[in-house]
Amino acid sequence: MNNLSVCMEGVSKRYPHFQLDNISLDLPQGSILGFIGANGAGKSTTIRILMGLVRQDSGTVRVLGHAMPAEQTAARLEIGFVSEDMRLYGAPTLAWHMNFVSSIFPRWNQAYAETLLRRFDLKAEQKIKGLSHGQRVKAALLLALARQPRLLILDEPTTGLDPVARREVLGELMAVLTDEGRTILFSSHNTLEVEQISDRIAFIDRGRLIAVEEKEDLLDRWRRVRLVVSPGTALPQLPGVVEVGGSDRLPVLTTSQFDPAVISMCQDRGATVQSVDPMTLEEIFVANVQSRRELQLA
Amino acid sequence: MKRTRTNYAMVRRLILKDWYLNRWMIFGSIPAGLASLAIVLTGKQVAFMLCIILLCMVIVGVGAQLAMVTTVNERKEQTLAFIMSLPVSWREYTAAKLLANLIIFIIPWLALTAGAIGVLCLPGATHGLIPFTAIMAVEMLITTCLIVVAGVITESQAWATVGIFCSSLGINGLGYAFAHLRGISAYMWGMQVRWTPTAWTVLIAELLMVPLLLGTAFFVQSRKTDFL
Repeated sequence: MNNLSVCMEGVSKRYPHFQLDNISLDLPQGSILGFIGANGAGKSTTIRILMGLVRQDSGTVRVLGHAMPAEQTAARLEIGFVSEDMRLYGAPTLAWHMNFVSSIFPRWNQAYAETLLRRFDLKAEQKIKGLSHGQRVKAALLLALARQPRLLILDEPTTGLDPVARREVLGELMAVLTDEGRTILFSSHNTLEVEQISDRIAFIDRGRLIAVEEKEDLLDRWRRVRLVVSPGTALPQLPGVVEVGGSDRLPVLTTSQFDPAVISMCQDRGATVQSVDPMTLEEIFVANVQSRRELQLA
Repeated sequence: MKRTRTNYAMVRRLILKDWYLNRWMIFGSIPAGLASLAIVLTGKQVAFMLCIILLCMVIVGVGAQLAMVTTVNERKEQTLAFIMSLPVSWREYTAAKLLANLIIFIIPWLALTAGAIGVLCLPGATHGLIPFTAIMAVEMLITTCLIVVAGVITESQAWATVGIFCSSLGINGLGYAFAHLRGISAYMWGMQVRWTPTAWTVLIAELLMVPLLLGTAFFVQSRKTDFL
């Protein structure tokens, strides 16, 4: 338990039109968790509970050893937080913001802040209202990183950025992340970004956590198996099939429990395996969500 | 549940932050206030009344505007997420917002109240007006507290506007009502100060309203489950 940066157990929060349902999530120290969900899935609510900004109706939350929300101020001393809906004050300069934040965080590293200024191509004397959206995101990242947090929480920081700015921010963020051994929670509905950055993945859908595991394990387990089935031959029953597409003769099976033994299993049952295709994180996420929603409907 | 201690250094930083961000509005109100005071130098009774009215407008106006900018705009412009990402508790945030607004208001308010009462103490002045002036001065303090508390609790422009509307009605309506209370009106225009039980009751009730309003702000904030 001691090496967990985040430990959520049975956390629920009810709103009139949305419910976060029994979330249990552990985040080992030093890991980078990609938190994926569609808009309105509950990512931001979960993150706000982690930050102590929203009080859960039930369940326990510990962040860096602090009970939340009771010890939120102690926890936030060690957290860097950037969210899509966070804005800096428009009229003052970035230097003012740096000075303000540095007066609060004892671990603020001015030399590192100046390195980030150069890396992000920002000018400290520039007023925030004169910055582009991409520059504002970089400025917020700088303020979060230079306080040298033990836990970095990024809630869709690249939302609203144009593709060039997004690539810049992500590239720079990845460069920064390799410098550090800190724990990171990166939330996004852009699976490509999450795939690049994370070593663990969590899927959330309609307020429920539907998967949490190592990224490589997840990518290894999910496969699309393309078969050729002779007329009159029954489709082989494979483990973990969540979706059957294609045609009767050329079915495409999506499985969440792929094992090389599946190939011989298919051949034993009279089907020819045409190909076994790896899936992207986005394809896995969509297949996972759709299969669970269908199960719920059934 | 462990209760964390209030970090007064953080409260001070947040207050200074709000004053810095609104320094031009605060500085801008000083010449307006001085111009109002200059009118009194003409030495006419009408000028004195005009001076009081203008000063009230400046002080209440700046107080209301500052309350709107520091509370409602923080949510509207999404800077609340930045502040609440810092190690700030709801108690520190609430205390900082109330103090940032009330200190700015109380400095000119005290000067105005002391000035007005000082003028009324001069030989030949209508000394009987002193209780009523004190009552109306505290009424101004209450209305400002109401606006600030509405802004802090609701963070909503609509509700803060309702607060301003109620405050305006309060100053005019209650001022009229107090001026017509027998225990006050009977001695108001006399040359002697008469602190009647009625005047004391109204004044004490008003003074009690201030901690009641501020306490309400802390109580409601403590019951909130969502701060973003």
